[in-house]
Formats: sequence, structure tokens, C-alpha cells
Amino acid sequence: MTVPPDRGVSRRSFLKGSAVAGIATTGITAAAHATAPSKPASFGPGEHEIVLLVNGKERKVKVETRTTLLDAVRDGLDLTGAKKICDRGACGGCTMLLDGETITSCLTLAMDAVGHELQTVESLSDGDKVHPLVQNFVHCDAMQCGFCTPGMVMSSLACLQKRGKPTDAQMRHDLSGNLCRCGTYGRVMEAIQRTAVGGGK
Amino acid sequence: MKPFTYVVPQSLAEACEASQKPNTLLKGAGIDLIDRMKERLQTPEQIVNLLPLKDELAGVAVEANGELRIGALTTLTQLEQHQALAAPAFDGLRLATGMTATPQVRNRATVAGNILQFTRCWYVRSEAFHCLHGGRGPTCLAMTGENRYHSVLGWSDCVRVHPSNLAPPLLALDAEYSTRLGDKVRRRKFSELFPADPRAQNPEHTLEAGEIVTAIHVPAQPAGTRSAYCESREKLTFDWATTACAVRLVLAGGVITAANLVLGAVAPVPLPREKASALLVGQKPSAALFAKVAEMAYAGASPLAHNDYKLTIGKAIVRQALDEAVR
Ligand SMILES: Cc1cc2nc3c(=O)[nH]c(=O)nc-3n(C[C@H](O)[C@H](O)[C@H](O)COP(=O)(O)OP(=O)(O)OC[C@H]3O[C@@H](n4cnc5c(N)ncnc54)[C@H](O)[C@@H]3O)c2cc1C
Ligand code: FES
Ligand code: FES
Repeated sequence: MTVPPDRGVSRRSFLKGSAVAGIATTGITAAAHATAPSKPASFGPGEHEIVLLVNGKERKVKVETRTTLLDAVRDGLDLTGAKKICDRGACGGCTMLLDGETITSCLTLAMDAVGHELQTVESLSDGDKVHPLVQNFVHCDAMQCGFCTPGMVMSSLACLQKRGKPTDAQMRHDLSGNLCRCGTYGRVMEAIQRTAVGGGK
Repeated sequence: MKPFTYVVPQSLAEACEASQKPNTLLKGAGIDLIDRMKERLQTPEQIVNLLPLKDELAGVAVEANGELRIGALTTLTQLEQHQALAAPAFDGLRLATGMTATPQVRNRATVAGNILQFTRCWYVRSEAFHCLHGGRGPTCLAMTGENRYHSVLGWSDCVRVHPSNLAPPLLALDAEYSTRLGDKVRRRKFSELFPADPRAQNPEHTLEAGEIVTAIHVPAQPAGTRSAYCESREKLTFDWATTACAVRLVLAGGVITAANLVLGAVAPVPLPREKASALLVGQKPSAALFAKVAEMAYAGASPLAHNDYKLTIGKAIVRQALDEAVR
């Protein structure tokens, strides 16, 4: 199981390695080798292989340049936790953490994630063992149909990582990019609070 | 999305060269662009990804002359949280940034991409509608159709609105922008970024094909500068504004000595309202003055069948922005 970073530790790295650096270090793309070093690397339009750093592991996946990160992870890596609901950045169902920050993976190209650390909801369980946050979602009954839940969990995780013990206002702020048609927000906030004080271990 | 070639430049110079190729589009985070490509409104042969240039083009810095330099690829989250924006002069810009979209979008979206995003008009953003601005039909369908989110000011043959949260406060702060096109480096007033005649089928901005915005510059603000940004919208989050107002005032001894008032989300371009601003100068803040200014800000408005609510709410938003600026 990938151990999520400690609470309060920010993994934010805005100016971190660019996609170029990622491609150069992982050296996986035939097209990259085919282009002269003085020219910018260029890929596609056809299929090619990239390496994504997913939940602490390097994973090879075949993509086209137009493949979204969500499709690459769901269809290419069979990590189907993140949901494709609106596919337009307007629901939060596809939320993943890129370099520790929440993003909508449906409006991110898979290519753009090369060289960055990606964390999906699958990182929070290992067989029957689950992360305390997930345990607290169960304990607080923080889901109904469960469709928004993977995204909710990832925004909740980012909230805890950033704030330690978040206030109500901070939780509202950090969850404001996740829609739940079943109206579980209150219980999601309880689950976050319970995790913040060490519950669910 | 149609297939395309994806270019990863290693320097601005490489990006400039690659972007000269015909049928090429530039990509920031891609939040607006990928959306339009999924709808097949854009079918470029080549995309130049600007994100690898973050080392060069992201971040906020205060220059020796006090000017704020905002890198074009700075994310909205980075901008909102930067300590340089903590000063009251930048309240408007900071609040407008923090109110945009959702945390997930702000964590990715770039400043340049926000300003250059395409209008949200539901006719032009759907290939199915034969609308004039999209070059797919003879008339602006919103003019006679469902137009509650459309323009009340400054429109002629197309009633789309400019959706950017960042544009109004940057205009109010007299910002400038730098670009690079091939070898040419240019710096211009922010107002020149938007077309003087925003007719249908005119581009939303005045950049040439392949011209890359590199930075936004906000001049040092005089002592006593206050600013504010307020907007109305239907949802607390996830939503674009229905009306917006950015103001920048300079106060000296209780008197307003300079004022810039800019409206957003009510016209095809972000709209500076000079006459309304002029009413403020030389005056002491008061509710009566602000009510007069709000009327002037919407003077000459021509609402459509479903959006005259924008006048009522828009004026209240102007008064609220002014109240907040002097508070
Ligand atoms: C659910 C949701 C709600 C939203 N709500 C709001 C809101 O309330 N207010 C608001 O303002 N926005 C809102 N947005 C829009 C969002 O803020 C923009 O889509 C985003 O800021 C675009 O930034 P980007 O970096 O992804 O741009 P991209 O999509 O990469 O680019 C946008 C355009 O700018 C061009 N471009 C980008 N960078 C440059 C550059 N450096 N030089 C030249 N051209 C460039 C591209 O070619 C493209 O045409 C919302 C979006 C979503 C999904
Ligand atoms: S599926 Fe990505 S935000 Fe809705
Ligand atoms: S639990 Fe059903 S959408 Fe959230």
C-alpha cells in the first residue's frame, strides 16, 4: 500500500519537474528518441507508451496524445476508482491528486502527467486494509449511491494533508469542487473530522 | 477529440518556433481547450504544450520598481495564495481568483488561460447549433433564444459574454501584458488584449496566431489604493458569474482621488465604465454616490428577453463592490 503523506506535510511542488524532465528520466517514448535533441519532443497523433508514476509505482500505459488522464488510468491501468461523470470538469467525480493537489483528471491530458506524482483512490486500500479516512467514510455512512465518493475521498485527503485539523469553513472550501447528488456533504465532513482526530485507525 | 501532434518544447524559443506551424494551438492546463476539443469546436493538427515552460513562465515576483510580475503559467491557486496579493490594493484580484471555478480547476488553470478562455455561450459551444459566432449559421441564436446568461451591454450582432474572472480586476489595476511572437517581444496595455469591436466571428482576443502571453504586469499602486471584486451567480461554486464588478479606488483624506470600475460577465468583452468611474473622483464615499455610480455603470444597457435581471443584480453588485472597497 502506498502510504499517503503525513498530515500537514505539503507535497505541493508547483515548479517541479516538467513533462520534459519526466520523459527524459524515464526515457520511454520511441518518438522522443526519434527526434533530434535540438528540436522539441513531439508525439502522436498515433498511440505510444508513456510511464506514469501512479501511487508510488512507475506504470507503463499506451495512450494517444488526446487520451485524458482519467481514461488512461481507468482504461489503460484498470484503476477504475475515479469516475467519469460529466467529463467536463464540472462534478469532481474524477478527482485525483497530482503532486499532492486535487485535479480533475477528465480535463487533464495523460501526457501532461508524465514526470509528476499521481495518487488515486486505490492508494488508500491494500486488500482488506484501508486508510483511516476510508474507514471513517464507512463509519460515518458518508455515502449513499457512492458515485461521487472516490472523488470526495481524494478531496478530503487533500484537505487533511494541507490543513491537519480543518475547520468547517476550510472543509467546505476544499470540498467545493465535488458534487454529491445524494447530499452526503455533512457526513463527509464528519468523516474528515474523525480522521483528523485519529479515528478509524 | 480529433487526434493531434503534441509538442513538448524545452524553451520559450522552441515553443515560439513550433507555434508558427499552421493549425497549431497553444495549451496551458487545457481546461478550456480540451473541453472545446471534446466538442470538436477545435480540431488542431498540433498542440504546443506550454506547461513544461513553468520554470520560465510561472510564479509571481515583485520587481524593483514595485511592479507585480505574474507569469502567464502561474496557476490560479498559486496566484491567490501569493503573499504579494495580500495588500488591500490587490483584494479584488485575489478574491476574483479565489472565486473562480473549483479547487481542482484552480490548482491547474493558468492565469493566461483564464483570461483567454472562450465564451461560455451554450449555442456557440455546441457544434449542433448553427450560430453566427461559431461560423456555423446566419444569426446569433442567443439573441432571440435562451439568453439569460448573455450580454446586456456593448453587443452588436452577437450577445456572448466574456467569462474571465481575472480580466476585470486586472483591467481595473491598469495591468499590462507581455507576449512573444517568433523573435518579437511586445508589451501592451491590458485593454488592447480585447477587441474594440467584438462582433461575431471576431476572435475573443487580439493575439496573433502563435503569439504567446508570457506575463501580466500590475503596476505598483499608490498609497491609499483599495480594490474589490464582487459577482453574482447561481451556484456558490462551479459557476461562472452572471454579473461581476471590479473596482480600484485611491483614497486620500477620505476623498476618492482616482477610480477604475470594470464590469464582467455582462458584455462580449470585460467592460471598463469610464463615466461611472469619473463620478467617483473628487467625492467622499456615500451610499447615495454609489447608487448613482451603479446607475451610470449600466447606463445605455439593452437587455434581452430573459436577462433584464442582470441590470437589477448588476447594480447591486456594483454598490457592494464599492462598499467593500472603502470598508
Ligand atoms: C466547472 C468549471 C467552472 C468554471 N468557473 C469559472 C469561473 O467562475 N470564472 C472563470 O473565470 N473561469 C471559470 N472556469 C474556466 C477556467 O477558469 C478556465 O477554463 C481556465 O482558467 C483556463 O486555463 P487553462 O490554463 O486551462 O487554459 P487552456 O484551456 O489551456 O487555454 C485557454 C485558451 O488560452 C490559450 N492560451 C493559454 N495559455 C496561453 C498563453 N500563455 N499564451 C497564449 N495563449 C494561451 C489557449 O490557446 C486557449 O485558447 C471554470 C471552468 C470549469 C471547468
Ligand atoms: S468527470 Fe471530471 S469533473 Fe466530472
Ligand atoms: S453518494 Fe450519491 S452522489 Fe454522492
